Amino acid sequence: MSAQPNYPQPYEDADNAPFLAAWHKGVLALQRCKGCGKAIYYPRPMCPHCWSADLEWFEASGKGTVVGHSLVWRPNHESFQPEVPVVLVEVALAEGPLMLSRVVGDDREKTRSGAAVRLVTMSDAARYPLPTFRLA
Amino acid sequence: MASREIGIVGLGQTKYSKKPNGTLIGYLAEAGRLALASAGMEKKDIDGLAISSFQLPPDNAVTLCDQFGLSVSWAWYFTAGGAGSLSSVLAAIQAIEAGQANAVLCIAGDLYDVNAHYKLMGNFNHALSNYAVPHGFGGPNGLFAIVTRKHMERYNTTREQLGRICIGQRASAMLNENALLRAPMTMDDYLNARMIADPLRLYDCVLPCIGAEAVLVTALDRVPKEKRVRVLSGYERHNHPPGEIAPLEGGWALFRDRLYADAGYGPKDMQFVQSYDDYPIMVAVQLEDLGFCAKGEIGPFLARHDMAWNGSFPVNTGGGQLSCGQTGAGGGMIGLWEAVCQLRGEAGARQIPSVSRGLVAGYGMVGYGHGLGASAVILEKAT
Repeated sequence: MSAQPNYPQPYEDADNAPFLAAWHKGVLALQRCKGCGKAIYYPRPMCPHCWSADLEWFEASGKGTVVGHSLVWRPNHESFQPEVPVVLVEVALAEGPLMLSRVVGDDREKTRSGAAVRLVTMSDAARYPLPTFRLA
Repeated sequence: MASREIGIVGLGQTKYSKKPNGTLIGYLAEAGRLALASAGMEKKDIDGLAISSFQLPPDNAVTLCDQFGLSVSWAWYFTAGGAGSLSSVLAAIQAIEAGQANAVLCIAGDLYDVNAHYKLMGNFNHALSNYAVPHGFGGPNGLFAIVTRKHMERYNTTREQLGRICIGQRASAMLNENALLRAPMTMDDYLNARMIADPLRLYDCVLPCIGAEAVLVTALDRVPKEKRVRVLSGYERHNHPPGEIAPLEGGWALFRDRLYADAGYGPKDMQFVQSYDDYPIMVAVQLEDLGFCAKGEIGPFLARHDMAWNGSFPVNTGGGQLSCGQTGAGGGMIGLWEAVCQLRGEAGARQIPSVSRGLVAGYGMVGYGHGLGASAVILEKAT
């Protein structure tokens, strides 16, 4: 791994602070609605399904399936340029929600619809601002 | 639906350019002045103002009234990105019908050069800024590449089929002096262009640029007959379907039956479609959702049609954003401007013969993965 890139960072707020704190430890934290039981991503102040504000955080499995992807050769920030193509993915998390994320690794261009993905290892997690995947 | 006696009586468009030659307020003012002049009306006739512009804040519709020296009884500022300009016209018609205003100037535009594009997309909304930008998502190109690939995989849609939209529009743009991209485009050019976000290449993407459009909405009988464009019907729907990142459908499907029923016409009666064209895949999705073919069947539909102004199925007859450029929020009004231009018989070398009716669709406000806003109107030349 090269030196820490100057990636743009998410803005921490009251809704996403537990999510970002968990990722700093390499863990994917999701919200679950105590009203309707559904898992939620991205972090919300209330459940988008039933509008209950009674949400709890839980540790997700870190497993998912690729629903869609693109190979970005012109990223939105110069910090990604040495890593093109950025493999942008729509992942269906094992817990249900859809997530926009990134597949990294030397084999990332082998990403296909239906491919199984897992979170990067805890030691690699510190490099990335948000939960990031590799091919399983 | 609002009264058919209220409609569009004027249109204005500034010159498009890659770099600004003036301020945003200056561009919005010029488009507004041109629309007023084309209606043969005067500043004193205006008592409503509706603005669609991403870069206008900290200004807004009311501070523009100060800039323009207008006192108005109704002011509106947009919310739905490229779907917003059609929303402004629908809101203006309803305001006039309710007696809140008599004549509303609807203006849209931005100084949207490439740097402004990156700046805007880096801070477009909370969900994108927090959960997509830190992944190097590549702006809308990366997101709509996902939508495009999904449609190709699910329905066997091909790049050759989608490319026919871009090529048809370019043929129209060659007859539009205000289009920034006017060189002929072949299928080889399209298929082999520089890769931007696989599967999207250069000519799938719009060129951000500078410009503004405007239309004037009021009672049709205030202007001579040849200037009158009736709004037969119009609807909007935002965030459909909720909770998806890259859906292959949008809000149009939910209102299309009412849209056609109110107008008294069906898809086959439309003589052109001006469809929001940030990417050819979204033109394809709009044509499906608006009933021109069944969901998933756009590929064969495109293969058997020519989308140029003089083709079998004219789409974005001035070249659209894909050939003219995307003036930020003005991209939501370029199709409306072109439609009004065609229906008034003012489209010059690209004038569709004997045209009396067409559909305009809007789309925009990219949220967490795709455009959330959808709108459409059916317009008819008043006789």
